[in-house]
Amino acid sequence: MSGIGRRAGAILWKDLVTEVRTRQGFSAMISFAALVLFLFSFAIGPDTQLLGRLAGGLLWVAILFTGTLSLGRAFQSEELAGGTRLLRLYPGDVRAIYLGKLLANLVLLAALEVLLFPAAAVLFQIDMLPHAPGLIAVAALGTFGLSTIGTFFAGLTVHMRARELLLPLLLFPALVPVMLGGVNATDGILMGDPMGRVEGWVRLLVAYDVILFVVCVWIFPVILEE
Amino acid sequence: MRASVRAEGLTRRFGRRWALRGIDLEIASGSVVALLGANGTGKTTLLSVLCTLLRPTAGNVEVLGFPLPSGGDQVRTRSALMTPSGHAYEELTGIENLRFASRMAGLRPAEGALEAALEAVGLSEAAHTRARAYSSGMRKRLELARMRLRDLELVLLDEPFVSLDESGVALVQEAIVAWRDAGATVLIASHRVADATLHADRVVRLERGVVGTAVSS
Amino acid sequence: MKGQRLLGLVAVVGVAVGSFWGLFVAPADALQGDVQRLLYVHVPTAWLAMLSFFVVFLASTLYLVQRKLRWDLLAVASVEIGVLCTALTLILGSLWAKPTWGIWWTWDPRLTTTALLLVIYVGYLIVRSMTDDPEQRARWAAVIGVIGFVQVPIVYLSVFWWRSLHQPPSSPRSMATVFGATLLLNLAAYTLAFTYLLLRRYRLARDELAFELAGPEEAP
Repeated sequence: MSGIGRRAGAILWKDLVTEVRTRQGFSAMISFAALVLFLFSFAIGPDTQLLGRLAGGLLWVAILFTGTLSLGRAFQSEELAGGTRLLRLYPGDVRAIYLGKLLANLVLLAALEVLLFPAAAVLFQIDMLPHAPGLIAVAALGTFGLSTIGTFFAGLTVHMRARELLLPLLLFPALVPVMLGGVNATDGILMGDPMGRVEGWVRLLVAYDVILFVVCVWIFPVILEE
Repeated sequence: MRASVRAEGLTRRFGRRWALRGIDLEIASGSVVALLGANGTGKTTLLSVLCTLLRPTAGNVEVLGFPLPSGGDQVRTRSALMTPSGHAYEELTGIENLRFASRMAGLRPAEGALEAALEAVGLSEAAHTRARAYSSGMRKRLELARMRLRDLELVLLDEPFVSLDESGVALVQEAIVAWRDAGATVLIASHRVADATLHADRVVRLERGVVGTAVSS
Repeated sequence: MKGQRLLGLVAVVGVAVGSFWGLFVAPADALQGDVQRLLYVHVPTAWLAMLSFFVVFLASTLYLVQRKLRWDLLAVASVEIGVLCTALTLILGSLWAKPTWGIWWTWDPRLTTTALLLVIYVGYLIVRSMTDDPEQRARWAAVIGVIGFVQVPIVYLSVFWWRSLHQPPSSPRSMATVFGATLLLNLAAYTLAFTYLLLRRYRLARDELAFELAGPEEAP
């Protein structure tokens, strides 16, 4: 078991180092997320109250769009280096590759959200601090769900023609629960949970994360086969 | 004879393209075999099947005594493949690439072992340069270093001499001898006949996906 | 062959009788009027959409375990029929909704899930078209078939939870009118038709694959 942890860690380290050294990936993510927030704000209009009510939705749209973009690059470094086949040659469970990349994606998205949430708080004039623990928990759950299924589909589509089309197409239905859960839980928390619904949404997100994680980990080796 | 590779009717197709059509092959343990044939005759496909990258479409394959595909992990623990183009992560330095490869292979090399491995293949100066600056010859040397770090029973070399200068070729030949002396089986797929057969005990020729006249020397 | 023909015949007769019954014999609904007759087709197609999806899941799992291409052929046959049924369900549902609820669309959990089901199916078919190699195609498709199926209940639950947030289960849900025998008849007939189509499409897929593999060999 420690073998898979070490190897996942090696992949995580490699992907993060590559990301840091190329630098373009993360800055592209930030720019894109900022763009989404700004564009939507302009589209909706200057009504601060309205923006405040929609903040949860806007945040999650930004996260999901940006996340999808960054996932598209998850296996790209492998392609450049000669393909995922070489990774498959190492002894041990190939699932380490999935776990490592999943974690790498999580780290990147978490870094993005650390910037995004405060930016949204400022733009939409919402006081997030008192709700911070809840918001962080929901963000973590939703981001994990996104990364789980996203890394999986990124691996699946990396060898396909038209992968830029297919990844969003495949992800979209899969992310509906994340979107609904993330937005509604975030909104609920920000409004003080008047209808006591947040717990239900959190449970849904947890169920989603657990089920999809188990299934994706299980099937992952099939994706890399040739 | 203990066979490190036993193939019976090994077939592999890609859609309508039949890369291997019923290969029957037995390779004695500890031998060095030159796998010759023009481009497109199935050498790479055969090596890929043997190192478990590809599943056979039909036929039986046993590598190091383990049947494929079920014994895949066992085979991967004891075997390695060298690719024609040299595989390296662009943004990592030479030594970081080695470190990554070692960890993925489950090794815990001692501190100086990685540097020593790079020195042995003439890459000490480039050890801390990112692989994106490496020539293809340097990448192959890096792959060689990677493989020499491991304890291998089966070594598969796919066009190992391509892109290498004289000293590089000498390094590969040296490695082949070292592997043979350690009792490993070495398969060299190459279209450079002289280099491939230099240390070979046996020559196997592939023609259009089947074994042609096998000549033992 | 003969069994298949008989099945086809029974299915056609069944659908004809069921349609006739649904259109002319069963009484019109007191509240909804004749529009309600659409449901005699809509509900069966919705049922078939789910059934075919389940068949895809089973076939995909079997392929991944056994690696026999025949399971992949069954899966694609089921998906194609499923896409048809899903699209029909949505269209008929829309046609029924307009006169009944006054709207073409609503984010009702079942509707939404059905729409997403269609997206997943279409994704499945597009992925299949991305490769010529039968084994790779089967592998990729099977993965989508399994993951797609796993998603569906969760999606349904999440939309259900979402909708219940905004309004109580709407009264259109309680559209229990003159169903009973007529509906059952149609359900049975359409299921027979599905089985027949599945069989035909499977056999066709098998022949297509044989043809694909027997063609002049590509030069290596």
